[in-house]
Amino acid sequence: MAETQIAFNINGNQEQIAAEPNQTLLQLLRDELGLTGTKDGCSSGDCGACVVLLDGKPVNSCMVLALQAEGSSVTTIEGLAKDGELHPVQRTFGEAWAFQCGFCTPGMLISCYALLESNDNPTREEILRAIAGNFCRCTGYQGVVKAVQQAAAELRATNSSEGAPDE
Amino acid sequence: MIAPKYTAPTSLADALQLKKESGAEARVIAGGTDLILRMRDRVLSPSLLIDLRALSLGNIVLGDDELCIGTSVSLSQVLENTDTQRLFPALVAACREFAGPPIRNRATLGGNIANASPAADLVPPLGAYDARVVLRSAGGERVLPLLEFFTGPGQSVIEPDEILTEIRLPLMPTLSAATFIKLGQRRSMAISQVNVTTRLSIHEENVVSEVRIVLGAVAPVPMRALAAEQIISGNALSDELLCSAAQKAAEEIMPISDVRASRSYRVEMTEVLVRRALFATRDELGRNATDG
Repeated sequence: MAETQIAFNINGNQEQIAAEPNQTLLQLLRDELGLTGTKDGCSSGDCGACVVLLDGKPVNSCMVLALQAEGSSVTTIEGLAKDGELHPVQRTFGEAWAFQCGFCTPGMLISCYALLESNDNPTREEILRAIAGNFCRCTGYQGVVKAVQQAAAELRATNSSEGAPDE
Repeated sequence: MIAPKYTAPTSLADALQLKKESGAEARVIAGGTDLILRMRDRVLSPSLLIDLRALSLGNIVLGDDELCIGTSVSLSQVLENTDTQRLFPALVAACREFAGPPIRNRATLGGNIANASPAADLVPPLGAYDARVVLRSAGGERVLPLLEFFTGPGQSVIEPDEILTEIRLPLMPTLSAATFIKLGQRRSMAISQVNVTTRLSIHEENVVSEVRIVLGAVAPVPMRALAAEQIISGNALSDELLCSAAQKAAEEIMPISDVRASRSYRVEMTEVLVRRALFATRDELGRNATDG
């Protein structure tokens, strides 16, 4: 098997690694880079457990070839916390009981994070549309909606206090 | 998954040359959302993957009389583009209901066509808007109506040395409206049981000048319901006329029973969906006329 060196940015760090043509991005992340937060659920793009950000957009990493990530920037669940502090939506997932077994959670969080990056006041409908590719088979989606709305409120509060003129 | 060679050429000429040399052994990869799964399941075992990502085939360009969509344009791009929103709303509607966001961010228009699924959601709207596809080879290019591209489930007229590079949509007559309706077992992440797009274009005297009824998942290839269109063409849009056209469409289709729906259910639903789509299209025409 012919290995090819690829360079890409993973969670803010530039990485150079050998990849094989038959390897998916998911396999590269989990098996080579040890980033096992991203889950392998169905391996066929149906469940969303493997969702990561590729150049800022949620994608199913089981349906991207590792070689296709060359030159891209990838964010996994391991990259959401900053300086040891969880992103608000990671914390509100816990507070709102937005998961039970947790297997769908990494992919679900990536989709919710991507939504909040572009929309800090999403409606219930917008949240449900954003997570339409992420299946939860234990506890459902109501907790997720609550968690995202709670995180959105926190983000708006932070943004408005940051944007306010000094007093 | 087998271990093919992979390359991402930086010029279309290089890609076409590779396709010429390797023929059917080489597969073009864009989003990969169909191809990677079929490689994993060993349905396809190409020896070479030609990735289109380094080529300039990912743009939507509005010209004087047509909109050109590059083959690697993702469904998300179509959804977010103001020209497609304004000019081809039924296509945008089909993209909105397609799978879920992670797939829409990767899946491409060219892929949805080249895959040649009878249930492909983007084909009915593209067909109803009279889309043409551009097939390029090292020797030249040919342009053909989209609905002539398909020859059977997973089968098309594309030659081993050709690459589908572009989709061209003619701009519609001023008084036009189109409606996309998809029936699936869920609202998201569902393969269609039946999908339909209807388009009506009218003269100022409210007589239909162009009618398209394009159906998916009800025949070996996406199909126009020509006899149903014939009922409407040249006439005024009464309820009875639209109902009888919908009935005719259900007679024209050739559905199978499969894991998603039975043949008889598809026949029933075709009549219902075509009727709903035609009524919605007529109502939108009425609203546009009032707004204008």
